[in-house]
Amino acid sequence: MHFPNIKIPQKIKDNKTKFIKTGIISAIGACWGVILVGTFVTFN
Amino acid sequence: MDVFLPIAQVFVNPIEILLLSAIVGVLSGLFGVGGGFLMTPFLIFMGVPPAYAVANEANNILATSVSGSTTHYLKNTLDYKMGLMIVIGGSIGTALGIYTFTYFQDIGKIDTVISLAYMYILAIIGTLMLVESLGEIDKAKKNIVERKKLHVHYWIHGLPLRMRFPKSKLYESVFTPIIIGLAVGFIAAIMGIGGAFILVPAMIYIIKMPTRLVPGTSLFVTIFVSVIVTFLHSINYGSIDLMLVVMLVVGSIVGVQVGQKLGEQIDSSGLKALLAILLLVVGIVIAYDTFFAEDIKKEILNGTSQDLNFFSKFIKGFSEDMPFFYGLFSILFAVILGIAAAFIRRSISKFRKKYFNKTIKQSK
Repeated sequence: MHFPNIKIPQKIKDNKTKFIKTGIISAIGACWGVILVGTFVTFN
Repeated sequence: MDVFLPIAQVFVNPIEILLLSAIVGVLSGLFGVGGGFLMTPFLIFMGVPPAYAVANEANNILATSVSGSTTHYLKNTLDYKMGLMIVIGGSIGTALGIYTFTYFQDIGKIDTVISLAYMYILAIIGTLMLVESLGEIDKAKKNIVERKKLHVHYWIHGLPLRMRFPKSKLYESVFTPIIIGLAVGFIAAIMGIGGAFILVPAMIYIIKMPTRLVPGTSLFVTIFVSVIVTFLHSINYGSIDLMLVVMLVVGSIVGVQVGQKLGEQIDSSGLKALLAILLLVVGIVIAYDTFFAEDIKKEILNGTSQDLNFFSKFIKGFSEDMPFFYGLFSILFAVILGIAAAFIRRSISKFRKKYFNKTIKQSK
């Protein structure tokens, strides 16, 4: 049985570091976003 | 099956608390961080009022740090002189922290202050840990070997009154450890944490102590700081709940031992990013809870004194009638449990060595 070459997983493999970096940066952004917006809204 | 906490006046599930404190214990044993800044928010999520969560977690930290410190004492990896200097600063910082705590309690803002302090501290630590892991990813990709500078001098190294610390082989100003202790004590009193996340990097990068002496000395300082925090919280606010403390101590002592054993077998450096993300998530949940979920009333079942069993009535009566002795008792209780755990661990490891040596000899 022949499986065609799947391109998407290969792309994910190539850009693994980029994905991890994006995940880390968005986690930091989400956390600080919630905290700063909350602080701003509450104290205004 | 819920249990009513006679001092905190809330119902909690003991199995949930035991499990959570064991999980936090495993994490702190694995990564070498104190569990306070995770366990206190968890207690708050479970409905324990923040002021009570802080005080009882401080008592729990006392037991775990006594256990860890006894192990380091037996291994002779402790610098008492440096530890005592940090404790001097820590005592002043704790007193200042309790004074600040009282001020915010009097104006009715203590719960908000504790939540704000937690979300910002968790966000800062999580961010720093993740930024460090980003740097490591870059270095691994580019195969960069970083050359560290041998001596970096900050303003704190130019302070007067220098003295020798023979065990650490240092000639340092007495003000350096005192200032660090001051910051740790202040934060510990307000947030109910041991302060290892400030103390350990400060000991390595600012005081420049040998790494092998750092964990033991940090735990030694934490004992004194948490004794003062527990005692002052107990006599000022009567907020130590021995029933809660028993659950926390049992869970975390078992968890820490498991975490330390796991840490010896697996490389935990790769998991640090996960811990950092966990810290950020807890920070986000606290922020959401404080800022956006104020209208949703938590379903906390309040009990009356009629519901109390004999043990709960005894704890409540003891705390109200003799707050000074109750504070002393809760400290002694945590210290004895901590020392017992350390000796049990030592005898188990001795027994295992003896047993394994015998089996190896027999097989030869």
